[in-house]
Amino acid sequence: MKIKDIVPTKIRSSLKRREEENPFLTLRQEMNRLFDNFFDDFSIRPFKTPWERTYPQVNIKENDKQIEISAELPGMDQKDVDISLYNNILTIQGEKRQEQEDKEGDYYHMECSYGSFHRDIPLPSEVDASKVKADFKKGVLKIFLPKKEEAERQAKKIEIS
Amino acid sequence: MTETQVQKKEKKDVDKVERTRSGRCFIPPTDIIDKEDRITVLADMPGVEQTSIDITLENNVLTIQGCVKEENPENYSLVHSEYQVGDYYRSFTLSDTIDQDKIKAKYENGILRLELPKAEKAKSRKIEIQS
Repeated sequence: MKIKDIVPTKIRSSLKRREEENPFLTLRQEMNRLFDNFFDDFSIRPFKTPWERTYPQVNIKENDKQIEISAELPGMDQKDVDISLYNNILTIQGEKRQEQEDKEGDYYHMECSYGSFHRDIPLPSEVDASKVKADFKKGVLKIFLPKKEEAERQAKKIEIS
Repeated sequence: MTETQVQKKEKKDVDKVERTRSGRCFIPPTDIIDKEDRITVLADMPGVEQTSIDITLENNVLTIQGCVKEENPENYSLVHSEYQVGDYYRSFTLSDTIDQDKIKAKYENGILRLELPKAEKAKSRKIEIQS
């Protein structure tokens, strides 16, 4: 392992963080897991990773042409979720509603959570906002963001006069 | 007006079950509502194929499982990962007798909803003391 990999020379944005790229993060996650297992019964959870409290949790994949963002949003449909793109930041917001009839029932076990959420995701590269597509099936939201053409990106270069 | 925020629960691995499929397996977070005449089970199982959902009730043990077909096109690289994809498995022991013929299951928007009507004999009734 190179020393460069161990000593972080610059702060990476959370988006670019990858487990294998950051040995400290991996170590911390490992520690978290140990603590989580240990503190499970006490509901004390130290050293949370920044996104453990965020909802929805997302996976981001990309290839040369497009970025694919997926999130698990069970119990919601298209009406409950609002997606917008502004300044290369993708916003996902919405609300998971609890069924009214269930509230009157006799709950004795509850693990699913309900309420509103809002999440901003900075995109790793410029996208073509007019061609963004999204689909929502089986509680999994998938957003496809085509990257801008190479030519367009280069056109943004500014010459110093 | 107070707004409640959705709290993300970490997916928990199932470790006590021997499985025939490789890959990760998670415990789906579940709400259970106990009503006078029935028990409603709501399990969060996003991404599961409806045809792969398997529900069994044997000796008062209710087992639900579902498989997720993971799509991983080769030319894609994972840039950022916060959640993992895997199958779901969970079993419950029911205290009441369930009318097995009337169990209803529905899978919609990633939630599996089970309606388990209580059997006639499990419903509470008054017992007369014979004199």
